[in-house]
Amino acid sequence: MVFGMPTPDEIVSGAARELRSRPQFPPGFGEDADDDAPLPTEPMTINMGPSHPAMHGTVRIILTVDGETVKEADVQVGYLHRCFEKEAEYATYTQVFPYTDRLNYVSPLLNNVGFAMAAEKLLGISDKIPERAQYIRVLIGEISRITDHLTCVGASGMEVGAFTPFLWMIKCREWLWELLEELTGARLTHSYVRIGGVAADLTDNFAQRLRDVLAKCREAMVDVEKLIVKNRIFRDRMDGVAVISAEEAVAYGWTGPCLRSTGVPYDVRKDHPYLVYDRFDFDVPVGSTGDNYDRFAVRMEEMRQSMRILEQALDQIPAGPFKLDDPRISLPPKSQVYNTIEGMIGHFKQIVDGVKIPPGEAYSYTEGGNGELGFYLVSDGTGRPYRCHVRAPCFILMQSVPKLIIGAGVADIIPTFGMINMIGGECDR
Amino acid sequence: MSQDLRNAPTTKPAIAEALRDIAAPAAGATAATPVAPAPSDMVTIKVDGREVQVKKGTNVLEACLQNGVDVSYFCYHPGLSSPAVCRQCLVEVVGQPKLVPSCYTPVADKMEVVTNSARVVQARQQMLEFTLVNHPVDCPICDKAGECTLQKLYDDWDHKGSRTEFDKVHKPKMADIGPHIVLDAERCILCSRCIRVCDEVAGVHQLGMAWRGDREQLTVAPGQRLDNPYSLNTVDVCPVGALTSKDFRFTLRAWELYTVPSVCPGCATGCNVEIHHGQGEVWRLVPRENLSVNKYWMCDDGRFTYKEIRSRRHSGARIGSGRGLPAQAVSVDKATSFAAERLSGTVQKGGTIGLVFNAQAENEALFGLSQVAAKLEAAGATVRRYVVGRKSHPERADKILRHADMNPNTRGAQVFAGAGAGDADALRSDLGKGALKALWMVGEDLPFDDAVLVELAPSLDALETFVVQAVHDSPLVRRAHVQLPACTWAEVDGSFTNAKSMVQRIRCSVSPAGDARSHMELVSMIAKKTRWVEGEAWQKSPRQAFLQLTAAVQPQDGSAGPFASADWGRELPPVQLRFANSRG
Ligand code: SF4
Ligand code: SF4
Ligand code: FES
Repeated sequence: MVFGMPTPDEIVSGAARELRSRPQFPPGFGEDADDDAPLPTEPMTINMGPSHPAMHGTVRIILTVDGETVKEADVQVGYLHRCFEKEAEYATYTQVFPYTDRLNYVSPLLNNVGFAMAAEKLLGISDKIPERAQYIRVLIGEISRITDHLTCVGASGMEVGAFTPFLWMIKCREWLWELLEELTGARLTHSYVRIGGVAADLTDNFAQRLRDVLAKCREAMVDVEKLIVKNRIFRDRMDGVAVISAEEAVAYGWTGPCLRSTGVPYDVRKDHPYLVYDRFDFDVPVGSTGDNYDRFAVRMEEMRQSMRILEQALDQIPAGPFKLDDPRISLPPKSQVYNTIEGMIGHFKQIVDGVKIPPGEAYSYTEGGNGELGFYLVSDGTGRPYRCHVRAPCFILMQSVPKLIIGAGVADIIPTFGMINMIGGECDR
Repeated sequence: MSQDLRNAPTTKPAIAEALRDIAAPAAGATAATPVAPAPSDMVTIKVDGREVQVKKGTNVLEACLQNGVDVSYFCYHPGLSSPAVCRQCLVEVVGQPKLVPSCYTPVADKMEVVTNSARVVQARQQMLEFTLVNHPVDCPICDKAGECTLQKLYDDWDHKGSRTEFDKVHKPKMADIGPHIVLDAERCILCSRCIRVCDEVAGVHQLGMAWRGDREQLTVAPGQRLDNPYSLNTVDVCPVGALTSKDFRFTLRAWELYTVPSVCPGCATGCNVEIHHGQGEVWRLVPRENLSVNKYWMCDDGRFTYKEIRSRRHSGARIGSGRGLPAQAVSVDKATSFAAERLSGTVQKGGTIGLVFNAQAENEALFGLSQVAAKLEAAGATVRRYVVGRKSHPERADKILRHADMNPNTRGAQVFAGAGAGDADALRSDLGKGALKALWMVGEDLPFDDAVLVELAPSLDALETFVVQAVHDSPLVRRAHVQLPACTWAEVDGSFTNAKSMVQRIRCSVSPAGDARSHMELVSMIAKKTRWVEGEAWQKSPRQAFLQLTAAVQPQDGSAGPFASADWGRELPPVQLRFANSRG
């Protein structure tokens, strides 16, 4: 076994594995680094972003650097602000779904599900959603989590120079998106979930195709790990960079893979189970040091856990309706809409007035790609939200970026920022 | 955290209450405060177990609605008699074996009403099912869709599928029953509201029912038409899309429109209206309830006043040598500077200046003009003030709503022009005598026929300075040296004073045509540039002007003057009809 490489068994099994035992290099390996005494420098202020390829398009960091060392960092988000919350006040609940697609746009269906669940909570119908719909939501949600992590992990490999993993992971992502495209009609902007269920049933051969794709993804992940887990450059850039303690992460309000990388095993799916998550056997991987490598490793392992959930869900999914049978919440069948005045009015009222939700307020939270994705809704009894707020996980993660990068090198900003996985659409709303 | 807590919504009644208050439309500027009735006029009844006090003589339906209890109804209308024909309002009165129509049952002391028992809800659903049996599947092409009471009640109460297997009964689909109205008898639910509007509001019997059973239909008597000055109110009260206005049908879908409360500019009655606008245009006016002015109604002429908002508009400033010669298009800024120069020139030379208070303009502009007049008089200039407006039409006046005076703000113009002001005839004779050197018209309307205008033309041409703030283009406007574009009533925030001296708010709905500015803004610009009036509150905003003018015109003796109860109201966010909940 070269360098203590994990066995394929270790990688694929997904056993409850604390990712403490990171592979070690043999003593003396690569210790010929040049560590001359630092040169005298003076501080300089530079702009990173907002138009910088490594800034994922839309964030600006005003850096004060001393040589290569970051002394101060002013992180400015908001370049992708689209008034999501205000727009939602002027749209019916159903019309908000397309907007949610554009929050975290590498896992749109997780946002769809999160919003639907908030509306359902306010309607008091959370426990009436048909089982099949709940399983479908789990399926599409976990697929989206995988696409989310594939993008994040692949891109951060690329950002430290490993281009091949990026291509392989994006290829996997594409297989999954093709599957979702077949199911929802759109590659990225799915708008597939509805209050009370989902828009359409699974396609005929969905289960088999998903299993095939998962097998291929597993292979690709092993390949990627072979390329980078033991790669000197990758490890030098990730290990021990941007470390945060569990206490600090909790204090900053971190959630999701980033929080878990510090060793806190908080996962909404486990701690406050929703949908049918309590019926699956899966582990919550946690890291030990809270550095970039842990954030990478946790995401890799989470993808495997998602695959386990997906396989169990495919085994368990029952037959039955895929949306709630209530004419005030789900659209009546088209045969009734076109041929009876009752169906016509029902359809019309839902489209024009929206699904009417009794006055009240609700906060509903799910495990999004980046952490706890919360929707807070206030209803005034009409068909559109009176107020809609999103607890965007990466917005909250972003506040700690200065802390992570101050003291690090300029080059470390890129993988750190990549591992925080700021998604402009979600962060800026 | 338990599963329960995760899924239970936090419903706080206080929030719902607060929101309801925000959503409630603002009342008209001068809604009369109802006098609380003496306790002896009240009876105590129980609605769904809750004790409430209502006035004697109220019917059960009204008692329920007043106390926030939702009861469905079609044929009842607060402004009409109750024939109890639709049976949609059935409720249970404890002690009575059968369900009773609440719209027809007066309250009695100690009465116990139940509106939410299974029996009542079932009756409601059955009535709706019955009504829908022969109803056509028309919503996508129906003008009422989106504000249809039938849709609303089905959605609120029934939402069950169809159980009929038979063809629907067919009736005339497109009967042209009047100059403004088309009837689709299939959509009619036979509530008879339209018949009662004609009988009880317009005072003419033009509609009636023919046939019986499921072939019963609304019709006009042979040889008759639905033709009266209030005919379009039938379209408003029709709970469904059976009666549609020829003017509005198939233009925009109702739910795409935005609503703004305002006042009809058609005559001195000042009916309260809602302006329905969308895509930058006004599409229709509908009456807005104000029991002390127009109740629930307005006349047909008034509804069509919106057409003037976009026709024959004078939308760009022009300056020239007058006399109807071609004028040069310039910016409003330049034109007002030119006007200021000419007017102050004339005044400095001691020439008499005529100020025309047009009864079509809003109070705020006329108040501004009165401030200018006062300043000029105090400085020793000779000022003559005139109140003019559109020609009155005594033949249209009736005891219902229509007023002979076709101007919305004659009272306001009279108040601000002051006691010594002349009328249109005085203006005509002064012009004829050449008594004026300069004329500044706020509004271009004059109550004269073309012949008189032709006769006046030489005297107008003889003026040294002629400034007009015009909404519409006309030969008169083209005779002026300075032709300023002014806003219509629907493009400004302000107020009108009606014939009963009630000050009512008008609100801006669409953006001004071209370069047009409000009369007030134009008056203020000229006043600033002539340095006659500068930095006064009324020049800042219509609201400031309103506050200043209401304070200024209070009678000296402390009695409640016409402006005593005037209220500017609060700013309203744009409300789309789609979210204003179903009307109808
Ligand atoms: S009247 Fe109402 S229910 Fe009937 S077709 Fe028109 S919108 Fe639909
Ligand atoms: S036309 Fe309209 S208002 Fe008249 S009876 Fe029919 S439904 Fe009622
Ligand atoms: S509303 Fe009472 S019977 Fe029609």
